[in-house]
Amino acid sequence: MSTIFWEISKRNIRLHLLRSSLAMLGIVIGVVAIAAMGILGSSMVLMVSDTLSSVGDSVIVTPYSGGGGNPMGPSGGSSGTMTSMKLTDQDFQKIKRIAAPNVAIPVLQTAEHMRVGVGSEDIVATMYGLPPEDVPGLLILSAGGYNSGESGCLVGSTFADDHNINVGSRISIGINGEKGTLRVTGIIEERGMSFDVSTDNAVVVTKDWFETTYDRNDEYDQVVVKVKSGDTADVKTAIENQFNRNPRQKTVSVTDSNELLATIYETFGTITTFVTAIGGISMIVAGVSIFNIMMMSVTERIKEIGIMRSIGTRKYGVMRMFLYEAAIIGVVGSVIGGVLSLVAGYAMSAFMLQTTKYLFTVSSMIPVVEGILFGIVVCLACGFYPAWQAANLNPIDALRHE
Amino acid sequence: MQPVIQFSDVTKIYPLRAGDVTALDHISFEVERGEFIAVMGPSGSGKSTLLNLMGCLDTPTSGDIFIGGSRVRDMSDDQLTDLRRDRIGFIFQYFNLFPLLNVIENVNFPLMLKSGTVVDPKKALEVLRAVQLEEELYTHTSLELSGGQQQRVAIARALINNPDILLCDEPTGNLDSRTGKSIMQLMTDLNKKGSTIIVITHDPMVAEYTKRTIRIEDGRIAS
Repeated sequence: MSTIFWEISKRNIRLHLLRSSLAMLGIVIGVVAIAAMGILGSSMVLMVSDTLSSVGDSVIVTPYSGGGGNPMGPSGGSSGTMTSMKLTDQDFQKIKRIAAPNVAIPVLQTAEHMRVGVGSEDIVATMYGLPPEDVPGLLILSAGGYNSGESGCLVGSTFADDHNINVGSRISIGINGEKGTLRVTGIIEERGMSFDVSTDNAVVVTKDWFETTYDRNDEYDQVVVKVKSGDTADVKTAIENQFNRNPRQKTVSVTDSNELLATIYETFGTITTFVTAIGGISMIVAGVSIFNIMMMSVTERIKEIGIMRSIGTRKYGVMRMFLYEAAIIGVVGSVIGGVLSLVAGYAMSAFMLQTTKYLFTVSSMIPVVEGILFGIVVCLACGFYPAWQAANLNPIDALRHE
Repeated sequence: MQPVIQFSDVTKIYPLRAGDVTALDHISFEVERGEFIAVMGPSGSGKSTLLNLMGCLDTPTSGDIFIGGSRVRDMSDDQLTDLRRDRIGFIFQYFNLFPLLNVIENVNFPLMLKSGTVVDPKKALEVLRAVQLEEELYTHTSLELSGGQQQRVAIARALINNPDILLCDEPTGNLDSRTGKSIMQLMTDLNKKGSTIIVITHDPMVAEYTKRTIRIEDGRIAS
């Protein structure tokens, strides 16, 4: 790097400091735009991943509804071998056998009026009925204990917060409490968005209480298989092979949570790429600016190029001198941009995601490195043509240039 | 002994839209080692074309040029460039120093081209002393020097690689007569030490310092 061309390039940048700084500013903005968008996208993916990781490794079986299953809960439709819109106990037993040794959990679900405390207004919330012995494997509590008796229930964390519910609180179920009163035995830890049971804003009761209260016998809204052994895709395929032998007469919809997670990550990845590409436009603009100043630099120094060539500088040497200039602008601008993108990424994460805990992770740092490399590559690419043009000037014409 | 420069029936034609212009028309001559030659002629006679061909900055339309026995026509662009760097020293009317470099860096430039790295300033100091430039100016840039001082630096730069030939294009054309005389005296001294010098000029006073004069008129050698 100690060649005379490196030295001349450095001094020329110093001589035209304002012009070079403005070109660098363009690169800084380009790198910040790309890297900050990348950090934000990556942080979003990590946040969603954190939220959804608890629902991974599940296979959800619902009655076939014609247009594919709804992973967020059962919907209308009909099944050939089962009670309309429901899975029968026979279906559940079959699923259990297929999924063994994994645990299959039958889920009952409805929406219900309820009232919390004396004098409060009626609210409508989701109620789930689950076998008490399966609840610890499915839900984690943040307070209290699991419900074993029929008069107890668990509530979701958001539901508890919104209605000031604590362990021991009582909830009247039905309009004017016609379906009885339940005591809260535990608060369920926040689960976020989930594909099986979304309990954050719901009440979970025992399967027996649910069946007795709503007169439901041996029919379920969905069956959740928690896959601890083997692959979710294999379990999904096994269930589908048994239930949906005839593709024209499907009886169940089977959803693999890992498959859905992959689709969601892919979607976020596409969104991140898109916003990063928008940031890339500013880099293109910066590149045009670099090209412009490099062309100016060549035009101003035609005579100097002529002298260099006449006293024995090879074309490659002239080219190197201009490429060094583009590289200096690119490296300095990109590194400054990389540092500033961390600040911008921090601010955007804090403002848009309400958290900065995903900022200094490997996947969030990758866009910074990519932004820096892209900035350098753009500078070199935009400096290449002016450098090539300088190197290929006719020495005699260049010497005559005034 | 092999001539330093040999022109053999050299013609140079510039194709222009208005019609071809013959700048040099079947020129032949030789330059022996240690000669001090003035090339004279009126404007447009072909002096600059001759200089460009001798300096390997251009190639002839026909005929052959030999520099130190090597035929220019057979050389690639890089070989011609290296030939200029190693065997030819250029001295220009407007000095043509690099304004971003100081005196020592300007003088060392051809050496640095050769080595590709920073070189010991010892040789530059030696050459600068030989061209009688005051030592306190060595760290100045060319913009801080007078015309005569700049030309001394340019001569030092031309000498740094011990070239076979010094090609000078109107070396005193941009200097006052007193400084011009001292530069020509310097060249005479260099010639006495063995340098082959060719001066393109239309100043008869400059030609008086040389041992031989080649006159060019309408692209041909008149005498």
